[in-house]
Amino acid sequence: MMAFGWSVGWLAALPLVGAVMGCALWGRPWALKHWALAVSLVTLVGGLALAGRSGGLAADVVLLLPAGACFSLMGERLHDTGRHACLLTLVLLGLGLAAGAEQEGSQPILLALLCGLLGALVWHGWQGSDSVPWWGIGTYGIGALGGLLAAIARPPVSTIGLLVSCAVLVPLGPLHAGFVEALRRLPGNLPAFVALALPVLGWQSLAGLVPHLPATVLYGIAALALGGMLSGALKAVAQTRIPHLVAYASLSFFSILWWNAALTRTMALATALFVVAMGLVVSGWLLVWKALEARFGDIDVRAIRGLAHTMPRLSLLWFLLTLAAIGLPPFGVFTGLMGLLLAPTLPFLGVLLVIACGWLPASWYFLGMSQRLIFGPHGPHPLARDLSAGEAVPLLGILLLLVGLGLLPSGLSASGEAFFPPHLAKVFGAGDQ
Amino acid sequence: MGVAPLVVSFVGALLTLGQVASEGPVVVRLADPGTVSSLILPVSFRFDRLSSVMMVLITGIGTLIYLFSVRYMRQERGYARFLAVMLLTIAVLLCMVSSANLLMLLVCWQMLTPLLYLLAHRHEHEPTLDGAFKTFTLLRVTDMAFLAGIVLAYALYGTVEFQDLAACAASTPVALSLWPGGGLEISGVTAVTLLIFIGAMGKSAQFPIHIWLPGSLYAPTPVHALLHAGIINAGGFLLNRLAPLYGLSPATLHVVFVVGMLTAILGATMMLVQNDIKKTLGFSTIGQMGYMIMECGLGAFALAVFHLIAHGLFKATVFLNCANVIHKARQEPAFPHHDRAADEAELSRVTWLTGFLATLVLPLIILLAAHGVLRIPLLDSQGNVIFLFFAWVTSSQAILTLTRLRAVASWKVSAAMLLTLVFVVFTYLFAAEAFTAFLYPNPRDVAALLSAAALPGWLFDGLVVAATWLVVLGWVVVYASAHGHALPIPGWVDRLRIRLYVVVMNRLYLDALYFRLGQEIRRLAESLDPVAWGRWS
Repeated sequence: MMAFGWSVGWLAALPLVGAVMGCALWGRPWALKHWALAVSLVTLVGGLALAGRSGGLAADVVLLLPAGACFSLMGERLHDTGRHACLLTLVLLGLGLAAGAEQEGSQPILLALLCGLLGALVWHGWQGSDSVPWWGIGTYGIGALGGLLAAIARPPVSTIGLLVSCAVLVPLGPLHAGFVEALRRLPGNLPAFVALALPVLGWQSLAGLVPHLPATVLYGIAALALGGMLSGALKAVAQTRIPHLVAYASLSFFSILWWNAALTRTMALATALFVVAMGLVVSGWLLVWKALEARFGDIDVRAIRGLAHTMPRLSLLWFLLTLAAIGLPPFGVFTGLMGLLLAPTLPFLGVLLVIACGWLPASWYFLGMSQRLIFGPHGPHPLARDLSAGEAVPLLGILLLLVGLGLLPSGLSASGEAFFPPHLAKVFGAGDQ
Repeated sequence: MGVAPLVVSFVGALLTLGQVASEGPVVVRLADPGTVSSLILPVSFRFDRLSSVMMVLITGIGTLIYLFSVRYMRQERGYARFLAVMLLTIAVLLCMVSSANLLMLLVCWQMLTPLLYLLAHRHEHEPTLDGAFKTFTLLRVTDMAFLAGIVLAYALYGTVEFQDLAACAASTPVALSLWPGGGLEISGVTAVTLLIFIGAMGKSAQFPIHIWLPGSLYAPTPVHALLHAGIINAGGFLLNRLAPLYGLSPATLHVVFVVGMLTAILGATMMLVQNDIKKTLGFSTIGQMGYMIMECGLGAFALAVFHLIAHGLFKATVFLNCANVIHKARQEPAFPHHDRAADEAELSRVTWLTGFLATLVLPLIILLAAHGVLRIPLLDSQGNVIFLFFAWVTSSQAILTLTRLRAVASWKVSAAMLLTLVFVVFTYLFAAEAFTAFLYPNPRDVAALLSAAALPGWLFDGLVVAATWLVVLGWVVVYASAHGHALPIPGWVDRLRIRLYVVVMNRLYLDALYFRLGQEIRRLAESLDPVAWGRWS
C-alpha cells in the first residue's frame, strides 16, 4: 500500500511538472494543448499500469482522473481561456492524484489546497457581468478551512473538518454553491474535468470517513441529502442553461450517494461506480455545452431547436448521453444506482424516497433540455456546424466508458470486493441449475 | 436486409416452442456467475412455454410489420434509422420475454421506453414530440415503481429469479408496516406484486396511466401496429411470468381486477366518442388491454395470454390496413345513411319476444351449453362465471348490432348468425381451454390461481345480479332504440348522459390534470430559483 502511494505520488508529479514546462509553450496554444494531452496520456498509461496494485478500490478509483483530463483536453477549443484551462487541468490532475495517493497524512492539506485554488478560480472566472459569486467562493473557503482543520486538529474536529471538505467536493446542500459556480465559471473545458475529479476525490475521502461518523451526524447528513435531492431536482427543472442544469442535477444525484452513505454507514463498490459514472455523464454534458457555446455563444437554449438536422453527430452523442444521465441501461449510472438500491442495509422507504426525489425527475429535466435543442422544427442556423472529429472523440470515449461501467465484468475488481453484496449471488443465479 | 434475421428468428422461435413443449424449459446463462467473465448485470435466458409462445408472436408479427415498413416508410427521411430502431425494439422484446430473472427483464423493460420515444420518428413535428415526451415521462414513473418492486422483492426474499421467487415468498411470509411504529400493515408479497403491477399498468396503458397511448398516435402506422400488437402486451406478459407470485396475494389480484375492469369500461366508452380512426383504435386497444388485465385479476392468466395473442394479430392487421381505410374515406367521406323513418312504427309482442330470444337468451344458452360440453366448471370458479357474463354481453351485443342493419333482419340470416355463434363459441372456448392446458400443464396450478382470485361471496353475488340487470336493461334500451322507439327516460338521466358524454369526450380531463400538475411543478421550481429564466418546453 505504501509502495502504491509512492508510485501514485510520482505519477502526480508528472502533470505538475508538465504544467510548469507547458508555460514555455504559452505563445503556441495548439502546441500547449498537445503537450498537455500528451502528459495526461502518459499519466493515464502510468495509472493503468498501477491499477490493481493498491489492494483496495478506493485508491484505484483515483487513477481514472487522467482519463477525465484526456477527455477534457481533447475537446478543448483554445478560444479565449483555453490555454489557462490546459495548464490548470494538469495542475488539478497533479493535485488530485497526490491527494488520492495520500489517504491519510497530507491528504487534508491537499484537499484544502484544491478547494482554495478552485475558490480563486471561481473568483477569477467572475468578470463583473453579474453579481459576485460569494456563495461559491465562500463554500470553497469553508472547504479549504475544513481541510486545514482536518490536518491540524484532533478528532472530532478533524473528522468534521474533513466531512465539510467532502461535502464541498461531492456537492451536498447547502455546500453545493461552489460546485455550481465551478461548472459555470471555470475557463475552457476545465469544468468537464472538475465535474469528474471533485466527486471522485470527495468519494475517496468519504469512503474512509463514513464508518467512523456518529449516528447523529449521519442523521443530519441524511436530512440534508434528502433536501438536496429534492431542491436539486426542482432547481434543475427550472434551468435554461446547460451548466446550471447539470450542476443542480449533480446536487440531486450526489445527494443520493450521501443518503446511501448515511443510511448504510458504508461506501460500497457500487457507490464508486455511481460516482464515476455520474461524473462522466456531467463531464460529457459540459463538453457538449462547450461545443454549442463555441458556435452560438452563451445563449439561452430556448433560442435553438432542431439541431438533429444540422448537427446530427452531436445530436446522436448527446441523446445517448441523455439516456445515460437519466439512468437507463446499459450505462454505468443505471448499474451504479441499482447497486446502491440493492444494498441490503438500505430500508425500503429509503429506496422509494431516492427513486421519487432523486432519480425520477431526471427523466423530465434531462430529456426536456436535450429534446428542446435536438428535436422540434428546425430553422436556419448559419452557425451550426457539426462536431469535428476532435470534439466527437472525447464524447464517444465517455460513452464507451459509461457502457463499459454498465457492463463491467464483476470479477475485475482488484480488491476482490463484490459489486453487489455476497448473498446477492443468488440474483445472478448462483444457486440455479 | 433486416427481413432475413427476422425470418430466421421466427423459425428459431418455432423450433424453440417445439423443443420446450416436448422437453421442458431450457435455461441459458451467457456468463457464469462467480468468474471473471460474469457481468455486473446478469444475462440469462429462460425458454419455457410462455416465453416461446411470446417469441413466436413477436417474431411473426414483427416480420410482417417490418416487411410493411420497408415499403411504407421508403420515402421518409431517416428511413434506415427507423428500420434499425424497429429491429432493435423487436430484439429487446425478445430478450425481455425470455429473461430468466427480474433484473434482466427490468433492463429490457426500461430500454423499451427510449425506443418508443425514438420510434415516434417525426421529431420535428411538435404534437409528435409532445406525445413522445409524455410517453417517456409517464412510462418512467411506472418503470420506477417496477424497479421499487424488484428491490423490495430482493430485500424480502433474497432472490429475483423467476423460478425461486414464488417459492421463497410462500415459505417466508413477511408483513410490512406502512407507518412507523406499526399500525397499518401489508403483506410483503402484496407490496411487491402491487409495485410490479404499477409497472405493468404503464406499459399496458391501464387507467389512469393510459393517456400516453392516445398521445402517441402521431407516430407512423407501422409503429402503431408494433405498439398495439407487441409492446403493449408487456404488462400481460409480466403478470403471467409472475403468476405464481400473484397467486399468493388475493388482495393484489382484486386490485388488478378492478383496474382492468375500469380500464376496459372507460377505454371502450372513450372509444365510442372518438372521431379519428387511429384514436378509435387506440382506445379500443386500451379497452382490450383492460380486458386482458382483468383476466389476470380473475386468475385466468393463460386466458390473458390467449387474449393478447388474438388481439395482437387482430390489431396489427387493423392498423396496417387503416391507411387504406383513411384513403378510401377521403374519396367517400359521407357515412352510410340510415333512414330512421323507414324503421317500423311499433314493435309487436312477437317481435319483442323473438328479438329477446334471438339476441339475448339464445347466446346465453349457447354459452352455457358450450361450457357444459367442454366441462368448464362454472360453479367452482367465480372467474369463469364472470367470463361467461362478458361473453354473453359481447355476443348479444354483436348480434344486436347486426340486426340493426335491416338487410340482415330475416329468419334465415338470424339462424345463420346463431349457428356462427355456436361455432365461434365452441372454437374459442376449446382453444382457450387447450391453450390453458398447454401453458399451465398442471390443472391444480390453474385451479389455485382461480381460487386465489375469488371475490368474497356477497360481493360476487351482488356483481352477478347487477350484471344481469344491466345486461337486460341495456338490451331493452338498445333494442328499442334500434327499432326507432324512444323509451321514456327521465330528464335528469338525459342531462347526466350529456354531461358524461362531454367528460368522456375530454378523456376524463386526465390530460389536462397531468398538464396542470406539470405546470405547477415548473412554477414551484422557477420560484425556487430566481436566476432561471422560465421553462423550456
